[in-house]
Amino acid sequence: MSSIAVPALDQVIVNKREKSAGQWTLAWRRLRRHKLAMVGLVILTIITLASIAAPMLAPYPYEEINLYNSYAPALSPGDPGRPMHYLGTDRLGRDMFSRLLYAGRISLLVALSVTLFTVISGAIVGAVAGSYGGGIESSLMRFTDVMLTLPQLPLLLVLSSSLRQFSQLQMFLGSNFSVIIIIFVLVVFGWMGVARLVHGSVLSLRGQEFIQATRAMGAGDTHIILKHLIPNSFAPIIVAATLGFGGVIIAESALSFLGFGVMPPVPTWGNMLNEARAAPLQDLFTQALFPGFFIFVTVLSVNFIGDGLRDALDPRLKM
Amino acid sequence: MSSYIARRLIQSVILLFFVSLLIYLIINLVPGGPFDLLRQANPRITQSHIDRLNALLDLDKPILPGKYCPQIGDEQQPCRFDQGRYIRWLVKVFRGDWGTSWTVKTGMAVTELIGIRLGYTFLLMGLSLSISLLIAIPLGIYSAVKQYSFADYLVTSMAFFGQSMPTFWTGLMAIAIFAVGLDWFPTGGVRTAGLEGDIIEALGNVITFGRSHPELNGKELMLIYDGLHHVALPALVLAFFNLAGWSRYTRSAMLEVMRQDYMRTARAKGCSNRVMIIKHGLRNTMIPLITLIGLAIPALFGGALITETIFSWPGMGRLLIDSIANVDWPIVQGVLVISAGLVIFSNLFADVMYGLVDPRVQYK
Repeated sequence: MSSIAVPALDQVIVNKREKSAGQWTLAWRRLRRHKLAMVGLVILTIITLASIAAPMLAPYPYEEINLYNSYAPALSPGDPGRPMHYLGTDRLGRDMFSRLLYAGRISLLVALSVTLFTVISGAIVGAVAGSYGGGIESSLMRFTDVMLTLPQLPLLLVLSSSLRQFSQLQMFLGSNFSVIIIIFVLVVFGWMGVARLVHGSVLSLRGQEFIQATRAMGAGDTHIILKHLIPNSFAPIIVAATLGFGGVIIAESALSFLGFGVMPPVPTWGNMLNEARAAPLQDLFTQALFPGFFIFVTVLSVNFIGDGLRDALDPRLKM
Repeated sequence: MSSYIARRLIQSVILLFFVSLLIYLIINLVPGGPFDLLRQANPRITQSHIDRLNALLDLDKPILPGKYCPQIGDEQQPCRFDQGRYIRWLVKVFRGDWGTSWTVKTGMAVTELIGIRLGYTFLLMGLSLSISLLIAIPLGIYSAVKQYSFADYLVTSMAFFGQSMPTFWTGLMAIAIFAVGLDWFPTGGVRTAGLEGDIIEALGNVITFGRSHPELNGKELMLIYDGLHHVALPALVLAFFNLAGWSRYTRSAMLEVMRQDYMRTARAKGCSNRVMIIKHGLRNTMIPLITLIGLAIPALFGGALITETIFSWPGMGRLLIDSIANVDWPIVQGVLVISAGLVIFSNLFADVMYGLVDPRVQYK
């Protein structure tokens, strides 16, 4: 330190605090300044909590049918002595609001598990390709490229309808088999983005000194991949996973909407929209508005968070 | 350049082979075959019925080359080598025999069926791509030129909203608002009930000077108008979803270009703002956009698949969904191979175009 300038006391404290903050604390501070990301985080938290608490919040059981009260408008009175139908009822007179809450559980659960599994499998493929190199690398990355050139949605439809016809699988997985199939199918066609990302960042990390030092100290490939390469590629993975989460919600809803995803009676926002198509044209607006609005708000919040995270974790912004 | 194109072409064909194998395997994954569900639905159907149906459709043979042991009734026949269903199917595909439909249009040749549907899908995709590019490019350029202005914030936040609204929701809402509520457009379909012929047949007639559908001569204009009236809403819905992405891509490409030295040079030599943006900026912005258009074809096709379902538009997407639901494997295989080919060759096209529009790109 130079002996000429003596820094003011408060500046020293600020500097000290700045130094003691880790990479993630700094990122969190930057994220907190991103207003839209914070709005998104609040909305997503509310939707998630409401879905988790669906059994407590929902005024009606989601499968309770009342054929005398089908296509009731929003805020219409419920059965005598019971709460009103806040968002109306559907074709079978089931309470829309309750169904939306329960649907949120499935949609969010599917999106969360798909994101988790795509990140894990993509990271493994990318890290293995990046750290071994040679034939393993070129064949893995070639395969990734081939997967990326496939027409996604048509193959998703075919694969999920093929899997659904495995009667043994159906017996093995029980009543929620369509949920498990959809998770599997979306992971099969979803890992490539993360694999490329991790591959790229591992390639840039591989030549750096700290990896060589670790290797010189006798660390094996598995240790280097798990303890050094993957943690150092966390930032781009987190951004990609967040933005991918929104994409998964849309993909699951699209499949369920087309009738190849999660099957009724398990409600998801997508298959509720599918049921809305069967409504008489004058009821289409109210039937389609709410499930789609939930998808829209969830995906929008996730995209806002992803955008905020990108700004917060972007290495170019770091000192 | 030509050697580069030739090499890429060969690579693309090899890739298409791999993809077709993958597609064939996925479709034929079901262990019980397409008739497994039949047996669950009707207990009077026995295994020997299923066996006979499978033998009739060649489904008892192995998928890949291998040993084939035919079984007639309980009697085991001697085993022999079989070239496999995939190879046989591939050879037939090359000869132009793509099989016939099982259930959707029983007995109709798959090539003929796809040929009819392809026109509708291309009309929808082409129209919506043109609409979204015509709106998105000016929008993106404007918001890049006026970076951080109110209009720029409006465009970028609109992009966020657009990308978070799936087409199956906007499509249903568009029907509810513009077709049912305001009655501006029909709710779906390709032509008004009672009309003979539709827009695709009329367009075919115009191209062939009245030879393809002589009975429609003189009615073309009316049919095209009617068809455009029907395709408008699905095309707009599909365009709306892509608009968001395109305007963002254009904006960031333009921002990148505006940072370049040649833009400053253009300004320094006294270029007007307009000439600078259009002649120097826009042309260079188009280079990354052309690649992106090629890469966006798969997503566009997926979007068309959903839009066609919502608006009962008789294109390839609806054909695919109908044939998956009705276990019509020959059609499913055909549509998937066509769409994979579309994706692979639009990627190739994008790469080649990239070199043609940008003389700085050197191919080796």
